[in-house]
Amino acid sequence: MQPLAELKPVVDEAIAPERPIIQVSGLDHVYPSRDGPVHALSDIALTVGEGRFVVIVGPSGCGKSSLLMMLAGLRHQTAGTILCSGRPITDPDPDRVGVVFQEANLFPWLTAIDNVAFPLALRGVSRAERAARANAMLELVGLGDAGGRYPHELSGGMKQRVSIARGLVQDPPVLLMDEPFAALDEQTRMAMGEELLRIWSATRKTVVFVTHSLTEAVYLADEVLVMSARPGRIVDRMEVELPRPRTYEMMAGAVFGRLRDRIWQQIKAPAR
Amino acid sequence: MRSSLPVLLGRALLIAAFLGAWEALPRLGVADPELLPPFSTVLGTLWGLLARPALRADLAITTVQLLVAVAVALPVGTLLGLLLSENPRLGAIFDPLVFFLFSIPKSIFLPMFILTMGIGFWQKVAFGVFSTVFIVLMSATAAVRAVRPDHVFVARAFGATRAQIAWRVYLPSMLPILLEGFRLAVIFGFTAVLLAEMYASRTGMGHQIASWGENFMMDRLFAGVLLLAIVAIVLNEAIRAVEVRCSHWRS
Ligand SMILES: Nc1ncnc2c1ncn2[C@@H]1O[C@H](COP(=O)(O)OP(=O)(O)O)[C@@H](O)[C@H]1O
Ligand SMILES: [Mg+2]
Repeated sequence: MQPLAELKPVVDEAIAPERPIIQVSGLDHVYPSRDGPVHALSDIALTVGEGRFVVIVGPSGCGKSSLLMMLAGLRHQTAGTILCSGRPITDPDPDRVGVVFQEANLFPWLTAIDNVAFPLALRGVSRAERAARANAMLELVGLGDAGGRYPHELSGGMKQRVSIARGLVQDPPVLLMDEPFAALDEQTRMAMGEELLRIWSATRKTVVFVTHSLTEAVYLADEVLVMSARPGRIVDRMEVELPRPRTYEMMAGAVFGRLRDRIWQQIKAPAR
Repeated sequence: MRSSLPVLLGRALLIAAFLGAWEALPRLGVADPELLPPFSTVLGTLWGLLARPALRADLAITTVQLLVAVAVALPVGTLLGLLLSENPRLGAIFDPLVFFLFSIPKSIFLPMFILTMGIGFWQKVAFGVFSTVFIVLMSATAAVRAVRPDHVFVARAFGATRAQIAWRVYLPSMLPILLEGFRLAVIFGFTAVLLAEMYASRTGMGHQIASWGENFMMDRLFAGVLLLAIVAIVLNEAIRAVEVRCSHWRS
């Protein structure tokens, strides 16, 4: 008879083939505010497998940014635990997690390359190594020759590329992105999505990407987590079984449409 | 800001016209040479004065008083400004008081400084500090407001410590405004020190100017004015050059 212990890993693998890198359970968050407490997140549980591209989609104000800030250690949850690589996240830890924000938020007094190198400078990495690594990241995001420019000399899309390079420069296993393309125009946004997928497949990072765009969610994701309106709850989880590389044509396909509709049903359902 | 050639030419012409009039009016008898000595005479007097060790000592003491006053007012004003703007309750208590003090002409306090501190070096430094510290404080407060919370947040996300945030986010964000305050402090400090010297002193350029005026030595008076004007402009432009270097990214 086969011992149970030997069977177990096989069962696990059937559910989540990748090793979990982020594990969230029982997460709850309440903001105190002048008009009374705001229940932002309620009983969030999720697992992100290593190397996966997971998109969290939900209506504005449902707590997506709050959740991401907690994953980044930038905000403390009221209750619940967040594990990253098996250890709790309580404070920002750039070795484990890189962050890209909605606004690129580059430092206007630094050149593009110095912005990318900023996280390394905080760690006291030598000047030569900083320059080499920041340059490699700029190459990766397709801005190899713009390193000497200041942010005010860059377009919105270029700024966001620099911001991605900065998020990746310390080579963290996880990249968190909070609506990084929401401030860009439609064409740039499409191009940046494609570009991000290229970068992702080149680096094999785990990406947790927040958006309120259904199309963006389905186009980018391995897996979509759908959040309800406040208090944010995860109401649905779906695999996007579209082949990679993703193409623009897939958006017109039946699978794409079905997934998008399913998200839409979830998001609009609790309209009160 | 680069100016075009016609603009530069226009400016040069204006200065030449001014100096030309200064030279010509007394020589042609339009202005009384006793009251307005010609430019070339004043220039000659200035040259002669600069050769005299006594005058160089006066110039040095005025400059040192100004520099010491600014060197005290700058860190004190900046730290007080930081304290008040990072500490909402302290700020709420002190802000109106600081604002009132800022708006009072400092010159009316000069007699009190003389009564309590005499007419020596430190009295003039103290009056210089008093006249500039509020300017620095106000500009530091404005500079803190120029620090964007987003930038602090980003730095925190990448693991910056408090000291790193101060050095790498606060300082560069604040620098352009701080330098502007610094420049104003030098201008007002110069005024304060010269005023204190003119009012009651045995040394310094202010004292000299006052006594040349009282003794109707117009060529020396004009030479002194010319010299101080040049010193003030050079100081101002030097700080402005640093300012431009540190705020090119603000465009
Ligand atoms: N610092 C805060 N204090 C009080 N309420 C907040 C704060 N931050 C966010 N909220 C509230 O929490 C809810 C979720 O916000 P957020 O996480 O930014 O949502 P999303 O990113 O999905 O738009 C919103 O209703 C918002 O008003
Ligand atoms: Mg948000």
